[in-house]
Amino acid sequence: MREVLPFRPMSAPSEVPAAYRNTAGDPGAIRLIREGITDIRSRRRLVRYLVAADMRKRGADTLLGNFWWVLDPLLQMAVYVVLVTLIARGRGIEDYPLFIFAAILPWKWFTASVTDATSAVASQDRLIKQIQFPKIVLPVAATTAGVVGFAFGLIPLAGLMLFHIERLTPFIVLIPLIAAVQFVFTLAVALLVSAGNVFFRDLRNVAGHVLRLWFYLSPGLYSLSVLDEVRVFREYPVLRTVIESNPFAILFESYRRVIYGTLDGPPTWPDFSQLFLLAAGSMAFLAVAIVVFKRLEPNFAKVL
Amino acid sequence: MTTPQSAPPPLVRPTGEPAIIADDLGVRYDLRFTRKTTIRRSLGQLLGRGGSDQFWALRHVPLRLMHGESLAVIGPNGAGKSTLLQVLAGIIRPSEGSVDVRGHVSGLLTLGAGFDKELTGRDNILLGGAFLGLEDAVTRDLLPSIIEYAELGEFIDAPLKTYSSGMRARLGFAIATSINPDILLLDEVLATGDASFRAKSKARVIEIVQAAKAVVLVTHDMSWVTQYCNRAILIERGLLIMEGEPSAVVALHLEHTEQERARKLQAAEAAGVDPRIVRMR
Repeated sequence: MREVLPFRPMSAPSEVPAAYRNTAGDPGAIRLIREGITDIRSRRRLVRYLVAADMRKRGADTLLGNFWWVLDPLLQMAVYVVLVTLIARGRGIEDYPLFIFAAILPWKWFTASVTDATSAVASQDRLIKQIQFPKIVLPVAATTAGVVGFAFGLIPLAGLMLFHIERLTPFIVLIPLIAAVQFVFTLAVALLVSAGNVFFRDLRNVAGHVLRLWFYLSPGLYSLSVLDEVRVFREYPVLRTVIESNPFAILFESYRRVIYGTLDGPPTWPDFSQLFLLAAGSMAFLAVAIVVFKRLEPNFAKVL
Repeated sequence: MTTPQSAPPPLVRPTGEPAIIADDLGVRYDLRFTRKTTIRRSLGQLLGRGGSDQFWALRHVPLRLMHGESLAVIGPNGAGKSTLLQVLAGIIRPSEGSVDVRGHVSGLLTLGAGFDKELTGRDNILLGGAFLGLEDAVTRDLLPSIIEYAELGEFIDAPLKTYSSGMRARLGFAIATSINPDILLLDEVLATGDASFRAKSKARVIEIVQAAKAVVLVTHDMSWVTQYCNRAILIERGLLIMEGEPSAVVALHLEHTEQERARKLQAAEAAGVDPRIVRMR
C-alpha cells in the first residue's frame, strides 16, 4: 500500500487565480458582469462535469435509463392531447399532437432548467462554505443540462414529423436559432432563482405554481387567436398585449411556425422582429441577472 | 497546565515575503437572512423591528502572514476562528477592511463536502478536482494514487451510496490532500477512519503542512500549536486578544478557559443546579 501521495504543487496547472484581494464594498455593475463572464469561461470544465454528472444520475437507477429523455416529452404530449380532446371537444386544430409538441419541448427545457437551478446553489451548501469557486457555474450547469434534454427531445420530434411528413420543410433548421434566444432568457431566470432560493427557501414552492400558470397563459396548448373568443381579453385588450408580449408567447409562436406552420399554412419564417426584440431584451435581462447574482454571491456562504 | 515541551523548531521558516495581509478585518452577519428564512418571516422583520439583527463575527482583526510561517488561531467555540479562515480563503468577503492573499490558497475540505451519492467514486474524484480548479490532466494523473491511497479497490466504480462511512471518509481525505497549496488553511487537523488509517492520515497532514509555504491552523489541540506553529493568535468574541509566541498565547487561552469554567460553575451553583451536569465548552 502506498503511504505517500505524490505531491502536486497547485501553482502551475490550476484554474484558480494565484492571488486576490478582497475588500469590503460592492464593485460596479460593469465589473461584476465582466467577472461573471470570466468565472464561467475559466471554469467551463466544471460546468461540463456538472452537466455530465447530472446526465449520468438521471440515467442510473431507472429501467429505461436515458431513454426517458425521449419518452418523457411524448408522454406529456399524450396527456395534453387526451386532456384537450376531452375538455375542448370539437374545436379541432389540425395535427394537434405536433401543434402542442412544438411548445412542450421548449417548455420542458425551461421548467427543468428553472427547477434544477432553484436548488442548484442551496444544495451545494457544504461545498460553498468550504472552498472558493465561482457559484455562477451551478445555475449555468443546470441550464446547460436542460439544453441536452432539449436536444434529446428532438429525437421524438423527428419521429413525430415522420407522421406529418407534409409539414417537414427546411424552416426546421431554424430551431437552434430560436433555442439560442431561449437559452439566454432561461439562463437569466435560472441565475435569479438560484440566488433567490438561498435567501428564501420557499421560492421552490412558489416556482412550481408560477411555472404552471405561466405555461397556461402562454399559447402552448392553444393558438393566440383563441384569445379573441374569451370575453375578458376582448374587453381588456391590455391583457391580451401582456400575454402576447410574454417571452414564451414569442418563443412558442416561433417554434411553431418553423415546426408546425400556422393554423392555415405550412411552416414559414418566424417573426424576426419579435424574435430580435426578445433576444435583445433577454441579453439585457441576463446582464441584470448576472449583476444581481454576483452581488448576492458573497453572502451565500454566510446564509447557507 | 501549559504543555511543558521545549519548543521544537517550527516546520517552516519565514522568508520575509508576505503571503497574507489583512487589515482591520471585520465580518458582519445579518441575522435577518440566517439559515432557511422564509419570505413570511423576513417580511415580518422588514416591517417590524429592523436593523438591530446584526452580529460581528470578526472585528478589527489585523493579520500578517509571511511565506514560511505557520500561524495557529486559537480561541473558544464561536469566537470567529472559522470565519477568519473563510475570509482568508476568499469564501466570505469582508464587511470591513481588506484581505490580500498572494499564492494559491486552499483548505482541506471536511471529508466529502462535495460528494454526490449517486456518482461513482471515480466521477466524484473528477468532479472534486474540477471544483478545486485542478486541470483535467492533473486530476487524471492523480486518480490512480488517490484510489490506492483511499484503499478503495473495486469500489471505485460503484456509486458512493454503496460505500461504508469509513470508505467515504478515506476517499474524502485522499481527494482533499491530493494537492499542495501555497497557503494551507487548516480548520481542525483531520485524522479519520480506523486506527491504522488515522496514523496514515496524520502523517499526511504533517507532510502537507511541511510542504506548504505558509500555514494557518485553527485547532483546539494545543499540542499542535506548540509543536508545529511559530506564531499564534488568540481570538475571543471576534476580537484579536493576543498575538505572539505559541506557548504564551496558549497559556493565556488556557487561563481564560479556566476563568470561564469557574465563572460558569459559580453561576450554576448560584442557580442551584448540580455543577456536575453543566456542560463545559
